[in-house]
Amino acid sequence: MKKFFLAIFILTLFFNTASFADEKPKQGSKIIVEKIDKEKLDKLIKERKGKPLFLNLWATWCVPCREEFPSINKLADENKDVDFIGISVDFPEEVDSKIIPFLKTQKANFTSYVNGFEGDEALINALDKNWNGALPATFIFDKSGKKIVFLEGKRSYDEFKKEIEKVKKK
Amino acid sequence: MNRKKIFLGIFLLIFSSINILASSSSNGVENFKLKDYNGKEVELSDFKDSKAIVIMFIATQCPVSNAYNERMAEVYNDYKKKGIAFIGINSNKQEGVDEIKEHAQKNNLGFTILKDEKNIIADKFSATVTPEVYVLNGNFEILYHGRIDDSRNAGDIKSQDLRKALDEILSGKRVSNTKTKAFGCTIKRVS
Repeated sequence: MKKFFLAIFILTLFFNTASFADEKPKQGSKIIVEKIDKEKLDKLIKERKGKPLFLNLWATWCVPCREEFPSINKLADENKDVDFIGISVDFPEEVDSKIIPFLKTQKANFTSYVNGFEGDEALINALDKNWNGALPATFIFDKSGKKIVFLEGKRSYDEFKKEIEKVKKK
Repeated sequence: MNRKKIFLGIFLLIFSSINILASSSSNGVENFKLKDYNGKEVELSDFKDSKAIVIMFIATQCPVSNAYNERMAEVYNDYKKKGIAFIGINSNKQEGVDEIKEHAQKNNLGFTILKDEKNIIADKFSATVTPEVYVLNGNFEILYHGRIDDSRNAGDIKSQDLRKALDEILSGKRVSNTKTKAFGCTIKRVS
């Protein structure tokens, strides 16, 4: 009898471990963070297909970026007629160690890329010549790919919402 | 008619000189006074006889600024003996003097570090991130503004922008790249 229980216990343990091991890569494989370069960014901005673009620049080391992330997630849920994209300026080699774990804890519902430009300055200037690189930063492009809004620093849900509505009307 | 021309000439001369004055002052900063982390008052003009003054907006909690601690200490040690003055400024509202002092000692930041309460000086410079660097001459004109170098990762540096600007100044040349950019932590201002 003892042996029977022991066998069941071992079997349960085995299946639990197996299913856990099976689940892990699945969760990881759901989030893909690719590098974005100048060509990809230009294409992303230009090819709008009738939808405005909400582009947020963030980093896992940036406290205000992490603080505003839940508001962006909520807005992405509520505005399916707008494309939401994030660009993390963490290093590409930090995708698995920092970026994906952060996106998982946030239950991020929109795509994030990682900076694949040659140096920070190239990405900063590609988005706005007057931007000094302070994070977070948000850019909203209208459905024709024209930049309408540039927000530097942390913003609230209401501020973002107001700006999104403004761009939608364009 | 001749008188009219003379008046017009004088008017144009005055107008253009006002413009020149305005443009030269727009590239400069005013003298300022702040306390260091020991409570000692320090004025920018205390350093006016230096070959150049390096102003570095820094932080204790920002991972980017902290990634540069060693590089800031090195550039200070290399250039102070060449007659360049260094001033660190902490304008972050949540970082107090005790924390700044402890951070400086722990990271061997030997240069003067001033506490910019209410971020008044950060506003005057329009500084937005840490680390962010300004290099001034004795007339407080800005000769260089931007990053220390082009990579937060010390192993990937291709351009030592601050050192290059200081070398050019020391050899009497014009700074070739006067403005650079890099990502950093936003300076937390009082609202």
